[in-house]
Amino acid sequence: MAAQPSSAGVAGAIALPLGDQPAAPAGRLRRTLKITVPAALLLLIFALCFLGPLIFAVPSPTFTNILDANEGLFSPHHLFGTDQVGYDILSRILYGGRASLEIALAVNGIGMVAGGFFGMVAGYIGGWRDAVMMRFIDVLIAFPGIVLAIAIAERLGPSEFHVILALTVFSVPAFARLSRAATLRVREETFIVAARLSGTRTNRVLLRHVLPNILPQLITFNLLGMGIVVVLEGALSFLNLGIPSPLPSWGNMIASGQTVLTAEPRLVILPSIALFLTVLSLNLLGDGLREHWSSR
Amino acid sequence: MSQERAVSPARGAELAATEPDPAAAAPLLEVENLRVDFHSAGQHVRAVDGLRYTIRRGQTVALIGESGCGKTVSSRALMGLLPRSARVSGSARLEGRELVGLPEKRMRQVRGAEIAMVFQDPTRSLNPTMRVGDQIVEAVRAHREAPRAAARERALELMRLVRLPAAAERFEQYPHQLSGGMRQRVMIAIAIAGEPKLLIADEATTALDVTTQAQIMALLRDLQLRLGMTLIMISHDLGLAATFADEVLVMYAGRAVESAPTRTLFEHVRMPYTKALIDSIPRLSDPPHMVLNVVPGQAPSLAALPPGCPFAPRCPRASDDCREREPPFSLQEPDHAWACWHPFGAQD
Amino acid sequence: MSSDATAPLLEVRDLVQEFSVRDSSGTRKLTVHAVSGVSFALDAGETLGIVGETGSGKSTLARAILQAPRPKSGDVLLRGQSLVGLGGRALAQARRNIQMVFQDPFGSLDPTWRVNQIVEEPLVAFKVGSRDERRKRVAEVLELAGLDPSRHGRRRPRELSGGQAQRVAIARALALDPALIICDEAVSSLDVLIRAQVLNLFERLRSELQLAYLFIAHDLSLVKHVSDRVAVMYLGKLCEIGPATALYHQPQHPYTVALLASIPSPDPRAAPAELEATVQGEPASPIDPPSGCRFRTRCPRAQERCSLEEPRLRMLGPDQYAACHFPVSEPAPVPAVAAEAQ
Repeated sequence: MAAQPSSAGVAGAIALPLGDQPAAPAGRLRRTLKITVPAALLLLIFALCFLGPLIFAVPSPTFTNILDANEGLFSPHHLFGTDQVGYDILSRILYGGRASLEIALAVNGIGMVAGGFFGMVAGYIGGWRDAVMMRFIDVLIAFPGIVLAIAIAERLGPSEFHVILALTVFSVPAFARLSRAATLRVREETFIVAARLSGTRTNRVLLRHVLPNILPQLITFNLLGMGIVVVLEGALSFLNLGIPSPLPSWGNMIASGQTVLTAEPRLVILPSIALFLTVLSLNLLGDGLREHWSSR
Repeated sequence: MSQERAVSPARGAELAATEPDPAAAAPLLEVENLRVDFHSAGQHVRAVDGLRYTIRRGQTVALIGESGCGKTVSSRALMGLLPRSARVSGSARLEGRELVGLPEKRMRQVRGAEIAMVFQDPTRSLNPTMRVGDQIVEAVRAHREAPRAAARERALELMRLVRLPAAAERFEQYPHQLSGGMRQRVMIAIAIAGEPKLLIADEATTALDVTTQAQIMALLRDLQLRLGMTLIMISHDLGLAATFADEVLVMYAGRAVESAPTRTLFEHVRMPYTKALIDSIPRLSDPPHMVLNVVPGQAPSLAALPPGCPFAPRCPRASDDCREREPPFSLQEPDHAWACWHPFGAQD
Repeated sequence: MSSDATAPLLEVRDLVQEFSVRDSSGTRKLTVHAVSGVSFALDAGETLGIVGETGSGKSTLARAILQAPRPKSGDVLLRGQSLVGLGGRALAQARRNIQMVFQDPFGSLDPTWRVNQIVEEPLVAFKVGSRDERRKRVAEVLELAGLDPSRHGRRRPRELSGGQAQRVAIARALALDPALIICDEAVSSLDVLIRAQVLNLFERLRSELQLAYLFIAHDLSLVKHVSDRVAVMYLGKLCEIGPATALYHQPQHPYTVALLASIPSPDPRAAPAELEATVQGEPASPIDPPSGCRFRTRCPRAQERCSLEEPRLRMLGPDQYAACHFPVSEPAPVPAVAAEAQ
């Protein structure tokens, strides 16, 4: 029951009345660049993977000609060369990116919607129902996730859809935890009390007050988590439980390339660069958005 | 204590500290044309503009104004406690020694030993994971080499000095085990550990309850007399200033707009902004439901100050010249300075 | 809704609110006695100020009146109808008549909403009128609260100053045309000049709309300014309640006296010396309140009787009640005065 003017800490005590002046152009530009540059890079990567093969001709990623095996970089017909069985690397990076990005989007999408909703409801209603719901999530977290994912993938057999199912075992509880923690914080805000005293029903409070206020955190987490999903898919591929051969993914390209790492390092390096650029721009975009949202 | 005195505080007790001994009247702090500029995100804000004041030894000066008027920024500038984006210019001399532009290493010797500060929020200023006694010991040892046992003795002495009940017992406690008022006493003990000449109390009682506020203010005044400290109190509460300060400096939009000995200020207020501040305090003697005298609008954005006097857009006495030329802040009567083209009570 | 024409607008009877907390080691369950048996009545169009320090239970009292959360025991009657037994929609309907304005203007407004939406929210919740009618009402109450609907309506809270944000909160409270507004430290966090503007706004709304207020604050001078009657709370109990003017001129409870003595006067001719005359120490814990009179641990007039017997509110002046065995108007208990005189 703090009765007094809200106090500011040592660092925050200096309040300058900036009024509702718009931020000066230079500052706004820098902030905008932090979002637009990584977003543009991501867009480019998505366009290359999903539209690229339709626009410029690349060999099929699953077509192999043993005569063309082990071609070097910039060889005719094969810009990035071919691997030890004659697959075109550029083509496999583009098509593999398709699979990896689809999996990342789907896994985190399902995690954010299902886990986010679950955590938000649990956090908002509180009490014993919250306790029961979160113990369920705790069980999922406590169970060695990778073992569970392997069990699922093994039981269902390797396919992209099954990889997605297996990996949501990680994403759903993570989003649920995050969303619950964010909801607990928002729930204590006076505007929630004000809304409830105004007669607003619980569903509406959740949808219109809680959700918009926790969404920035969920989206940032979503972006930062996508890179991890791509790598996890690679781990499943390594156990032959990921995208089934001969279909490519960045994960299984890196995994299979590791066997000839010393002889042909580009088989690992090239898909790794693609993965690195994607993860980098996802992280930069996540950071940029977080900064943007926290500044308002 | 009789009831009558408690109900209506006895009047007429003279402000003993108002007329200091002439020998001790040499200025302790002279602030001259102090300016603080912030550059961040391409935005330029002048938070303090041409501030000028002098404090004599043993005085209590109140810096009064609304949030963002520059009262906190200007006093942090004295201690080099501003973020990197701040540029401080002008001059502030403590006993003739220039503080503006002092290298961080030398400034560290000034902090605590010459100037100390007590902040508004004692909860956030104390380390929650450390016993309060150890935090005071740390402050003691920051200012002089002392064996642990001696520093501990000194810390206990300081705790008694700030009238923390059961000092030895409190020594072992953590901040969350103390009440807000006791935490602020700990902060004061830390602040006076280096026997500073100047203590800056930045809204030090704002977060406290009224009865606690009265106790802390009484403590500060008592310490000031006993230790011969000079006190700058930063506050938004003109009533508090009227009760405790010898001199009041009113700030608006980063500028000084009026300064005078407290009594003079209240009896012969000149600047319309000061008048507005005084009028806006509800008085116990007012009948219920009385309409307060208010000025419209809100404080201007420092990023887009109007030309002329910054208070002109809200001022009932403003004329065209106020909106064109900024009035200088200058001494216009003995001890009484103001910045206004159309002050109250002056002959036009 | 059934209502009794002769009943006061709001009646609070022996309200008790307690919370359970765990001690610092987390092993024992402790009870916080936040509000312990508070009773008062408020008439339509009347303003009751409630003053108290941190931990006095004044904000808990406000929430308990609104049944958020429900009080532990006691009764709250709105125009004679008890709110305690009501649930769900019936309670929501009854609460239409009581709105609340909070301390932190920004905290009480959803940062992702626009001003128009915020003010419209209670109208939507109670399905009042058509969309156009609601829009008109929003503009109307924004103007009542001193805002320009065309300039401020589309803004988000962060684009407002503190004073403007509090006006938005006031407009939202007015939207359903309530009979009573509970102001919980509603002007405490505002700058002095803005505070005066908002106080004047409350006064104007009171006379224009015949509103009743429950005006909760820690600052006696603010409360006095707006209130017809004032109640002083200490550690969950009412110490004194009475007409504002009487309470300030002839306070009966020693705690009221101490609070009044603690207010720094804006008149420098009033001597500063007397601040020491206020009470010493700090309030006891509401987890383990003192026996008998809860103020006795800090009271300069406390006697043995004060620790044994809890004082009840009794009339000590016209409509003025205090809960004290040795009120200020009666001869002081002998030993205490003897001790004080030295």
